Amino acid sequence: LGNGLFSVVERLKGATERELRIVLLGLDNAGKTTLLKKLASEDVRTITPTQGFNVKSVAASGMKLNVWDIGGQRKIRPFWKKYLENTDLLIYVIDSADKKRFEETGLELSELVAEEDLKGVPVLVFANKQDLAIASPASEIAEGLNLHTYRDRQWQIQACCALSGEGVQDGMSWICRNIANKKK
Amino acid sequence: MADDSEWVLESIAGYLGSPEWVIPVTDFMENKCTVFDDEDENKLTYTEIHQQYKQLVENLLENYMQEVGINEQQFFEACSSPYAKSKALQGVFQPVLATDDFQMFRSLMVQKNVELQLQALRVIKERNGALPECLTDGTDVVSELEQQELRILQEVLKRSKEEYDLELARRVMLKEEQQELGSTSTGSSDGGPADAEQQVLPVKKQDGEACREHGVQKSQATVSPTAPAKMLPGQGGPSPKVLPAVRVPVKGVELPTPPPQVELKEKVGQQAAEAWLEEARREAGISKPFTELTVVQQDQLQQRAQYLRQQRDKLQALKKEQKPKTAAPEENPTGPSPAPSPPEVSVEERKRLQKRKHLAEKLKEEVIKK
Repeated sequence: LGNGLFSVVERLKGATERELRIVLLGLDNAGKTTLLKKLASEDVRTITPTQGFNVKSVAASGMKLNVWDIGGQRKIRPFWKKYLENTDLLIYVIDSADKKRFEETGLELSELVAEEDLKGVPVLVFANKQDLAIASPASEIAEGLNLHTYRDRQWQIQACCALSGEGVQDGMSWICRNIANKKK
Repeated sequence: MADDSEWVLESIAGYLGSPEWVIPVTDFMENKCTVFDDEDENKLTYTEIHQQYKQLVENLLENYMQEVGINEQQFFEACSSPYAKSKALQGVFQPVLATDDFQMFRSLMVQKNVELQLQALRVIKERNGALPECLTDGTDVVSELEQQELRILQEVLKRSKEEYDLELARRVMLKEEQQELGSTSTGSSDGGPADAEQQVLPVKKQDGEACREHGVQKSQATVSPTAPAKMLPGQGGPSPKVLPAVRVPVKGVELPTPPPQVELKEKVGQQAAEAWLEEARREAGISKPFTELTVVQQDQLQQRAQYLRQQRDKLQALKKEQKPKTAAPEENPTGPSPAPSPPEVSVEERKRLQKRKHLAEKLKEEVIKK
């Protein structure tokens, strides 16, 4: 059947609602799980470092978003690759106050966008932790990541604070406007 | 080709209910489900297992379709037909749908894991009549181990006490034999180690006094408190292990009094009691800080230690006291040793067990509902 099983299952399910597969990546302590829980309207006060991964389905503008949050610790990063297949959108989360690791997070992102499975897949970067005084502005981070050099995909950077939820909805709106409508 | 859809789907649905499908898929799930718990976070291995599952389902379906001559195109079309969307078929196709739906797959695996656990609990219960303690309370493994150590510790303390009692009785008796006057006997009780200890004391004292005062020749029965049958989980096979009762020595005038044979025996009498106590304390310190024990456990331990100290003092006092006075013991078969109490399932334990069972049922229900 090869990749056929996937389409068989798609047909079996009957496209009652459109589904998007979204992977949430970024360094450890960037705030991925907090963002995921915020999206699912869950409690964000007791979040511990993710050793494995979390999956949640979120309804947004008539769609079902299946969001995959994979742990960002260095030893887990090699496993990211296994979660990229059939992905519709990459959300990349950055701790805007962790300047020391800007270079590291930039390297990780550039490796990701070079993955075959993510070819042409849109990227939404969340410049998280904007509530902290020492946080860098989103524009500065975009520059550091060389986002403007991306030619083969849509991208967006969104300043946010996952803990309070500020800016998160703006990012989701961008997804609905630009990704969902284009997916057939 | 619209006519094809129905028979293709029916054929595949039939296959999904046949042993050719059910056996390998069930095997796979039973083998791999043990790592699936109901934690919110997923383990990385889940993904690996999901991939393997996908591969298995693909292979099985492919083989079957080849066998009966269904091509991919027919299958696709059948799956798109309205017939495929019926509730009944969606249920049948769930294991196929789970290849592409991680959360569905995960709940299937969690459900399977709960089923296996319930099955195991049932089997253990059938075999043993009751669940071993370690399975009835929901505490984690570490504290179970600690509890086990504590039980062993208590057992050791109890045995050292028994040994000590026997030795004590033997010495007293030897003296009595030499002096042919007075006797002592230690009473025993099967009401648990604490009861035994507490009852032994007054009985002995009274006996001693009674003998001295009345000069009555008294038979002596040295009965060691038998170890109550107790299940020690983790020891031996599945059947509850009943500790061997300490042998009850029959003592008389003519009989030499060999030291009682007790398991774990290395030293005898007083030294043994002290050594055991110290060792026990040391062990307790390692396995669990004394302050972390429950108040009851602390109390018990302290009572025991204090009791052993008292016993030692009493023995010394008794020795001095009894030097001038003697009593001739008379040969007498010892009374029957108290029968070991059967493995007891207290009301509390039963309640705990039921609570746990209830919880498991509920969990299962929830999983199935998902």
